[in-house]
Formats: sequence, C-alpha cells, structure tokens
Amino acid sequence: MPRTVPLFLVVLVIVAASGLPAIAQTSNATLNASVNGLARLSLSSAAISFPDADPDAVPSIQAAPGAINVTVKARTLPGGTVTLTVVANGPLRSGIDTIPASNITWGATGALGSATGHLSAAVPQVVGSWSASGIRTGTQTFFFRNLWSYATGTYTLTMTYTLSAA
Amino acid sequence: MKKAVWSGIVAGGFLLLGASSVFAQQTAGASVAVTATVNAKAKLTLGLAAVTFADADPDVTPLYTSAPISIDVKARTTAGSNVTLTVLATQDLTSGSDVIAINTLTWAASGTGFTGSGSNNKTTAQTLGQWTGSGSPSGSHTLSLPNLWSYATGTYTATLNYTLTAP
Repeated sequence: MPRTVPLFLVVLVIVAASGLPAIAQTSNATLNASVNGLARLSLSSAAISFPDADPDAVPSIQAAPGAINVTVKARTLPGGTVTLTVVANGPLRSGIDTIPASNITWGATGALGSATGHLSAAVPQVVGSWSASGIRTGTQTFFFRNLWSYATGTYTLTMTYTLSAA
Repeated sequence: MKKAVWSGIVAGGFLLLGASSVFAQQTAGASVAVTATVNAKAKLTLGLAAVTFADADPDVTPLYTSAPISIDVKARTTAGSNVTLTVLATQDLTSGSDVIAINTLTWAASGTGFTGSGSNNKTTAQTLGQWTGSGSPSGSHTLSLPNLWSYATGTYTATLNYTLTAP
C-alpha cells in the first residue's frame, strides 16, 4: 500500500530547496601601491648675470634674465615638511677682489611667497617651506647692490639650491 | 585569538618600519652660476660752477676768499690703482690785455685724500686729490686771490678745469 505524502511536506521541501545557497567561492586580491618619498627641483635658468651700471642711476641692478621660475615637486608623509634653501659657495669673486654674497638680494612670487631675502655663503637661506606633498611653482628675482666701492672686475659665484622633503 | 592579536601587532610593526624607510628624507639640488660685471667709472661733482670775487678795498680786504666749494668724487677702478683729481687753468686771469698771473689764485682744501693747499697753473695740471682704489670721497676747497693795489681795473676771468682719473 503506497504511502501518501502529505501535501504540506512537499511544499516544505520545495521551499527549503529554493532557499539553499548556490555554490559560492570567495577570494581576496591584495593591491599594493607604493608611494615613496620623492623630491624634484626645476629651475628655468642655470645662470644669471648682473650687467654693469652707474651706481647713482641704478643703485640696485636686476639680474638677467628677469626672474627664475622655480618648480618644486615633493612627496612626503602627511604633514611632512618640504623646504627649499639656497646657499652661495662663497663671496662674489674676481681674482683676489671679493664682494659679499649678501649684496645679492631676491624677491619671490607665487608659491615661494612674497618674502625677500639675501644670499649667504655661510648659512643656507630658506626660499620656501611647505607642508605635505604637492607641486609648487614660483619665481625668484635677484638684485645686486651697486656700490661705488667695488673694484672693477667680473665677479662670479655659484648658488646651490637644495630641496628636502622629510 | 591571542595569536591573531600578536600577529597583527607584528605585521603593523613591519608596516611602520617599511613606511619610515620609504619616507626617509628626500633631497634634490640645482645650481645657478652668478656673474656681476663691474666696470671702471669716474664721476666728479662740484658744488659751484662759478666763483666771483666782488670788488673790494685792498686795505680792507687784502685777500679775496671764495665760499667753500664742495667736491664729490666717485670712482671705480681696479684694486690698488690711483684715483687722481687735478685742476688746470685755461689761462691767466685776463681782462682784455691785462692779466693777473693764475698762480696767484690759490686753494685750500679739506677732506680725506685732498691736497691741503696749492696754486693754480695754466700749463701743468695740479693735483687736488689722490686716493687708492674705488670709493666715493668728498671734501671742499676754497679759492683765494690777493687783492692788490697794482691790478689794472677790469673784469678778469679764467676757467679752471677739474679732471678726475680712475684707471
């Protein structure tokens, strides 16, 4: 005698079967993006010059070219400090004659701020200082104190810029 | 559970160590050559362009003396070179055919490097001042002329040329 399957049991089985999960597989993929510290400095000119001029007519000689474009790119820790400094390798020198490097002054614009400063052969001077990573651009315009007391000659020095990101 | 916590701490430590090395201070540099040209120059400025001695009684005013004439010297030269200021008269003091010898017109100068006193000359430039190297000295001088009864009447003139030399 065949056994009768109650209808509610059939329905229960069907409902239960429809609730079974499909076969599932999970997998993790790890993405590593390395962002290392980096500092890059670009100057629009590798040389500037101050032409001769009458000290009475031009007491402060502007350098040629008129301005140096400075581009600073830095990656650093959040809140890290990015600093651009400049230092002279010595006084302006023409043979044995010298003119103090401090007689060269500058004015800045853009991301370098509106600060002015003077060159030093002893202590690196801060041209700009920022927090965190980023790209900053600005210009620096140089001036030379034109005094009667200078001995004649062609004077030279080298300015070294250092960008540090820490 | 404990093991998992410690594993996390260790992993975090490695991560921090890794981060500090990756973000060690980075530097970049660049250089700019600077040139300044300083050429020789000389500039002379006198406080007066003309000196006039008004007529006076020789007994009352035996010596004409001018007001001080300022002299500003500005010179750029090679280190150790001499900067020289000279004065040369174009002629004697002349009024028509009458003359007063220019060497009777004397000067007295004050200021560093200036010759304290001297007489004018129409043939040989007289040194009024001398300095070494670049600079901008200044001083003054007065001109004097004896007021003699022997002079013929007239208006006497001469020109004094000042020359500043900076080699």
